[in-house]
Amino acid sequence: MVVTTENNGPERNRLSEKEWKFSEILALPGILERWQKVKKWFFLRESTYDMTNRCNIRCDGCYYYEGDKQFARENRELEAWRTLMQSEKKRGITYVVLAGAEPSLVLDLCEVCHQEIPLGTIATNGLIFIPESIQYRIHISVWGSDETSLNVRKAKNMLQRQIRNYRNDPRAVFVYTFTRENIDQARQVAEILAADGCRLTFNMFSAPMDYDGGLRHTADSLKECRKAMLGLLEKYPDNLLFSPYSAVAHTHTSGLHELFSCPYPRMNPSTAIGLGRSFRQYRTDLSWNRSAACCVPDTDCRDCRHYAAGSAVVTARMFRHATDPDIFKAWLDYVDTYLAVWVMGYEKGPNLSDNPIAPPGHGLL
Amino acid sequence: MTRDNSIDKILLRVAEIMIQELKLEDVTPETFDPVIDLVDEVGIDSMDLATVALVIRDEYRIRIDEDDYPKLTSVQLISEYIERKLKEKAAEGAAV
Repeated sequence: MVVTTENNGPERNRLSEKEWKFSEILALPGILERWQKVKKWFFLRESTYDMTNRCNIRCDGCYYYEGDKQFARENRELEAWRTLMQSEKKRGITYVVLAGAEPSLVLDLCEVCHQEIPLGTIATNGLIFIPESIQYRIHISVWGSDETSLNVRKAKNMLQRQIRNYRNDPRAVFVYTFTRENIDQARQVAEILAADGCRLTFNMFSAPMDYDGGLRHTADSLKECRKAMLGLLEKYPDNLLFSPYSAVAHTHTSGLHELFSCPYPRMNPSTAIGLGRSFRQYRTDLSWNRSAACCVPDTDCRDCRHYAAGSAVVTARMFRHATDPDIFKAWLDYVDTYLAVWVMGYEKGPNLSDNPIAPPGHGLL
Repeated sequence: MTRDNSIDKILLRVAEIMIQELKLEDVTPETFDPVIDLVDEVGIDSMDLATVALVIRDEYRIRIDEDDYPKLTSVQLISEYIERKLKEKAAEGAAV
């Protein structure tokens, strides 16, 4: 793979000069097929749910233990959760993300959610096995080598324990979060995961509000992350669910909101359509607050490069990517990646775009 | 041949595009209620609207701003938008 730092080669200029019709873009080889593949899933409408305010580990920089959501009362009533899921279904929610603090501590609640809304993901640290009866995607968070995990997460032999629980599990996607401190360790972790046949994707540490620790990214660390991501994508194409455009979108010096205008309610006052209309982020007491609603509450929006945010934020901006074949292919790769990461049974195709492409209206870095 | 871009023709064509793109059943361009709210009453979402906006952009060769299409939530509103954009385009052409 050639990693370009400029996005202005002669071929790209030639493509950009032409005013493309959408139908012309779709008619190009490979594009229509991929478009039809991803389009089938546009019915997904998500909301997220904090399941418990407990966790079996305590990580530096954890978004859950910021802000006041951590103090919400826990509702452990199965029937209350069932009623919530039924009402969510009625208002059009087709996809749930069960997150904070550690959902595997309340498996009975996860089971009820799955019985009512069968599509979803559980974000977990992977130390407790989630039974196979819950056929959600399982996102297992990895924050570096075991030595780093011990320092940042206070948990011993974390990766080995996670792999032991989820090796060969078709639900599992390991999510490696790049911080400023663990960029080089991604190679070692990816090698271990690939050797065990595990699939992984990448996340970027996105600082919580008022965070002043050492994990926040800088322009240099973003550049290093991109280089590492692209190198690993080339080395482990079968294990890594990612694309060159995913690398660009999540390591740009501008955050996701600046690049793509975040449509989550916290940054989007409109209730007319899309995420602004339907998305809610529930706390453990089953309350929700529109002004705080986003997929990773209490993240500093200026620093948000979170993989969960990008999945919705970049995908929602289809219109601005439908201007020429290169940028549309990059967008399709991004959406294909996001669906493979989040939807059980969805298989990612080969990336259509080999090189990093700049987001519409922005440079490559 | 000059295309008939009267509002009635536009309304019919937009309804036809809606039916094709959204695979709506039990409705024809002639019976499509132009003021029905596509979001509240038909249940379409932002990705559907974006797709329709791209098809309309192709067909009428007009520029549609990204901020505009989420507000175009009925066949009537879309048709009036197209009509306005076509007039602006014609005026720009005349000025050149």
